[in-house]
Amino acid sequence: MQSNAALEYDYTVAKLFTYTAILFGIIGMTVGTLIAAQLAFPELNYLIGEYGTFSRLRPLHTDVVIYGFMLSGIWATFYYVGQRVLKVSMAESKFLMFLGKFHFGLYFVGALAVVVSLLLGITQSKEYAEFEWPFDIVIVVIWVTWGLSIFGLIGIRREKSLYISLWYYIAAFLGVAMLYLFNNMAVPTYFASGGIGSILHSVSMYSGTNDALVQWWFGHNAVAFVFTVAIIAQIYYFLPKESGQAIYSYKLSLLSFWGLMFVYLWAGSHHLVWSTVPDWMQTMGTVFSVVLILPSWGSAINMLLTMKGEWNQLTENPLIKLMVLASTFYMLSTIEGPIQSIKSVNAIAHFTDWIPGHVHDGVLGWVGFMTMAALFHMAPRMFKKEIYSKKLIDIQFWVQTTGIVLYFTSMWIAGITQGMMWRAVDEYGNLMYSFIDTVAVLHPYYTIRAVAGLLYLVGFFIFAYNMVRTMTSAKKITEEPANRTPMAA
Amino acid sequence: MFHWLEKNPFFFAVGVFLVIAFAGLIEILPNFAEASRPVVGLKPYTVLELAGKEVYKKDNCIACHSQLIRPFKSETDRYGQYSLSGEYAYDRPFLWGSKRTGPDLHRVGNYRSTDWHENHMWDPKSVVPQSIMPAYKHMFTNLADIDTAYAEALTVKKVFNTPYDAPNGTKLGTLDEGRAGALEEAKAIAADMKNQEVKDAVAAGKIPEIVALIAYLNRLK
Amino acid sequence: MNGLMIKALAFAAVLIIATVAVVNTMHIDLNDPVNMITMFGAVAIAFITTGVAVKYINQMKTDKSTGELVGERWDGIGEYRNELPSGWAFSFLGTIVWALWYFLAGYPLNAYSQIGEYNEETKAYNTKFEAAHANADAATLIAMGESVFLVQCAPCHGETGDGMSGKAQNFVNRISKDQVLAVIKNGSNQLGYAMGAMPPMLAQGADAETIATYVAGGMQGTAPAAFATCVACHGADGKGNNGTAPNIAAYDNTLISKVLVNGKKGAIGAMPSFKTRLTPVQEKAVAAYIQTIKG
Ligand code: HEC
Ligand code: HEC
Ligand code: HEC
Ligand code: HEM
Ligand code: HEM
Ligand SMILES: [Ca+2]
Ligand SMILES: [Ca+2]
Ligand SMILES: [Cu+2]
Repeated sequence: MQSNAALEYDYTVAKLFTYTAILFGIIGMTVGTLIAAQLAFPELNYLIGEYGTFSRLRPLHTDVVIYGFMLSGIWATFYYVGQRVLKVSMAESKFLMFLGKFHFGLYFVGALAVVVSLLLGITQSKEYAEFEWPFDIVIVVIWVTWGLSIFGLIGIRREKSLYISLWYYIAAFLGVAMLYLFNNMAVPTYFASGGIGSILHSVSMYSGTNDALVQWWFGHNAVAFVFTVAIIAQIYYFLPKESGQAIYSYKLSLLSFWGLMFVYLWAGSHHLVWSTVPDWMQTMGTVFSVVLILPSWGSAINMLLTMKGEWNQLTENPLIKLMVLASTFYMLSTIEGPIQSIKSVNAIAHFTDWIPGHVHDGVLGWVGFMTMAALFHMAPRMFKKEIYSKKLIDIQFWVQTTGIVLYFTSMWIAGITQGMMWRAVDEYGNLMYSFIDTVAVLHPYYTIRAVAGLLYLVGFFIFAYNMVRTMTSAKKITEEPANRTPMAA
Repeated sequence: MFHWLEKNPFFFAVGVFLVIAFAGLIEILPNFAEASRPVVGLKPYTVLELAGKEVYKKDNCIACHSQLIRPFKSETDRYGQYSLSGEYAYDRPFLWGSKRTGPDLHRVGNYRSTDWHENHMWDPKSVVPQSIMPAYKHMFTNLADIDTAYAEALTVKKVFNTPYDAPNGTKLGTLDEGRAGALEEAKAIAADMKNQEVKDAVAAGKIPEIVALIAYLNRLK
Repeated sequence: MNGLMIKALAFAAVLIIATVAVVNTMHIDLNDPVNMITMFGAVAIAFITTGVAVKYINQMKTDKSTGELVGERWDGIGEYRNELPSGWAFSFLGTIVWALWYFLAGYPLNAYSQIGEYNEETKAYNTKFEAAHANADAATLIAMGESVFLVQCAPCHGETGDGMSGKAQNFVNRISKDQVLAVIKNGSNQLGYAMGAMPPMLAQGADAETIATYVAGGMQGTAPAAFATCVACHGADGKGNNGTAPNIAAYDNTLISKVLVNGKKGAIGAMPSFKTRLTPVQEKAVAAYIQTIKG
């Protein structure tokens, strides 16, 4: 075995993706806070003309946080973790360095183009797959580049067997590749019609119910592979590394991984309960969703048990705190989702704010916290500086946790109330509420959610500030810390 | 075995791929042919309706509106007959949506009218004082993209055999015929509208987005 | 129980109590099976998550990590060979058993149909409510009509039925001068009265003006001479000759039901037909309610 010290890892690409994670996090969450406020105060729809309505901005929010913030985070961590657990440096291969930089460059240009296209309303109107076909092609190239990077790095590895994090990165790569391709199949109308109309426009290869099935097979599993699998990849590295603890159980890792892989794909039709897809397909979505609780919780429990006996780390190290809370929110969203999949519950929950509530338990508590903890862990090692301020992390932690709790409690109550009001009948058997009644009652909850969003956003700005100060003006460190991330009080 | 896989990344990847791939087949394929069959009497969208559907997509109404009436009494009372698979046979993409910040629209053509939509899209609060829906005033000046809508119709006719130009069906014809047909339809809608600029534009042969959108909304029945 | 666990469960309890309280202020019937199962699901999410998470977090206080390490280390990270937590493993099996049950017995694979369930649900409703209100008295009809009106008609006619500054029919008055003028000018042929169509241009200029003022004013005082043209069909009192032509003096059940069946397009705008959207009882009820709307 080589000695660790001899190897200088090259973090050029990881750094680039770190910057975009921060940048897109700020853009995406600012837009999120704005659209949250628009539902409480509709006047805010008119700030930038036709480009500023809730409906134009909503996909901008979802796509920028998912494909901007989240993917940047995933790739920043991959280009960091990959080298380390395989024990090879990117500097050892010119080709891999080139691929990594190409990956980033194309991604950044693509991301900016996509932002503009969404503002202009160029969209396929399929959730999380809005981009029109030319952008899709660029996205495929970006994705293939990442795949080449993964397998290229694996090809020259010194560590024989793959660490758990890599299982998950590989799965994220394969899963999204397959899903994205199939869901975005479309015929460009300009070419098919012999040169008429807009060159950007296309029609979906599938129609109606079939399109719905493909879309939610994609949509659900995009959640599976981006919001879940790729984030688990991160926690399996950063929690044990930061704490110095060994993973609680290899067997639990193994069963959770293969269980998740097997079960996740079947659950997509829980987005189509009570729709026009056949009854048995809907039921299948429900049952696999409930079975999915345990493979999901397996990873979370494995992480919590890894920290057994380490209470002092939990109280003293804010990064551990972020990651433990991330696991907890992961548990919350992965039992909430399955229960929302049950037919009777879905009859209430579907179409209501309880769903965005569920979404943000996951994305704010789990994805957001995990990504920020990972970047905090990486920063001193990439920039050779200690974290600028531990105190700021503590403040950020509490501000954002308050935000998340307000977000999910308000949307939980709003959604359940609204779902039940839609069904309510009066003593005569007539609908008790007009639709607008069910909108008007939500005003206080939409207001609370906007405040919650603002808190989370403020926390994110604190994070960004702390990161920038770490890069620019924090104290230098000479030796890489083995575990606990060094930070100034 | 698993440990062996972890040392052989290629087979590991193949294993993961197989495990995740086959669920999709079972989830999507069995019903594929069945679900693409239209209900009896369903006509393909006219060019103007398609242009309106484009406006619906462009301004992303699915952010707030569903087009799927679930088989519950509370929904059929509010929105009408529950949705059938065959009604969506010409919907590419499907526009079911996943969030009802506003009401379902699958049959809104049954219980709203051109003039109501005109008032509502110009200023929702003027008809529903507590509404939180944004006003879409820009649709009254932006022009609908009729050519692209025609290209879409021609594409689905050629590639997916959507029955345009069938007897008693929706007529498509040449590009010029398509444009003329759209204008004809637009005139009928503009006649029921009050906004003078829109009326003038249509009289001058131009079709504002709002006219196309209303054609589409009226078609939702 | 330690402090953290108590706090966590208390949080879950507060969330559930708040949910139930809010739902109750909206007069929701929690005995409805769908509502009940949903609340039960909410309880499960809140308590299982907080309970289990805190159980493991507590182990960070009390336990010690032990076990045999696997041979490899990745960037310094080790792994224990610990067994699966048994609670986890048994719960996993439990969900699989539940899944089989749900698939075979709960919503039996070959026997369950959501449309069938809908049909049954609707039938049950109808027997319960239609029968109970088939012979409802006037007060009940008005109350019932108001609730139908608020859901189905208010989006156009306004919550008070005032037509929202001329965007739809204003029920405070029978008809406006502009509407009458428009009908005199264009005639009318859409409501399906026995008499059929009303021809256009029955009156012109000043005559039309005086007629319209008189009709829109609620037909008070003596009728202008020109109104004689109208009497033939609508009657001297304007009440429409026993339902053969529309009542232009006041709303009546016949008019409202004709409008609901046929829809109406007029000087103000278009109203779609509500045929099949309302039950006969609802139609009667909404008609009764509209006739109570006064300025
Ligand atoms: C911010 C959310 C939001 C967006 C975006 C939105 N709507 Fe709405 N919509 C509502 C709400 C809330 C209502 C109910 C109140 C009302 O009628 O204004 C509504 C009502 C409607 C109705 C009346 C349906 C009925 O049954 O009363 C139509 C038609 C409609 N919207 C069309 C559209 C179209 C077309 C778009 C896109 C160009 C759109 N909406 C975008 C929230 C929205
Ligand atoms: C030939 C018989 C006839 C005569 C004469 C006649 N009406 Fe009518 N009127 C009708 C019929 C029939 C309708 C209903 C038409 C329909 O189905 O739309 C009607 C409809 C109306 C309506 C519309 C009612 C509503 O609620 O929409 C008004 C207003 C009206 N008449 C006013 C008048 C006035 C004022 C005159 C005299 C200038 C007049 N009518 C003369 C037969 C007549
Ligand atoms: C989409 C909008 C819309 C809805 C929904 C609607 N109406 Fe109307 N209604 C109108 C308009 C517009 C008019 C006026 C037509 C005209 O005379 O120009 C009207 C007119 C009427 C009239 C007067 C007709 C006459 O001849 O004087 C009655 C009665 C009426 N509506 C009843 C109802 C009832 C009852 C409901 C609900 C079950 C309802 N409307 C729902 C738009 C609507
Ligand atoms: C066991 C795991 C999970 C299951 C079974 C599950 C189930 C569900 C269900 C039933 C819905 C609502 C469908 C509807 O009625 O509209 C949903 C929506 C959603 N969930 Fe989950 N969920 C799980 C985990 C997660 C996690 C961990 C995240 C994010 C980190 C997440 C993100 C989302 C998103 C983004 C949506 C919204 C989809 C849309 O746009 O409609 N889910 N999930
Ligand atoms: C400042 C923090 C945030 C705020 C205030 C916020 C607000 C919102 C709002 C208002 C919506 C629309 C809900 C609706 O239509 O009713 C939404 C949707 C969504 N957001 Fe966020 N968001 C935030 C952060 C994030 C982050 C960090 C992510 C992902 C990493 C994310 C992912 C999503 C997704 C996937 C949806 C779509 C949910 C669905 O369709 O059901 N959000 N958000
Ligand atoms: Ca796309
Ligand atoms: Ca959604
Ligand atoms: Cu899902």
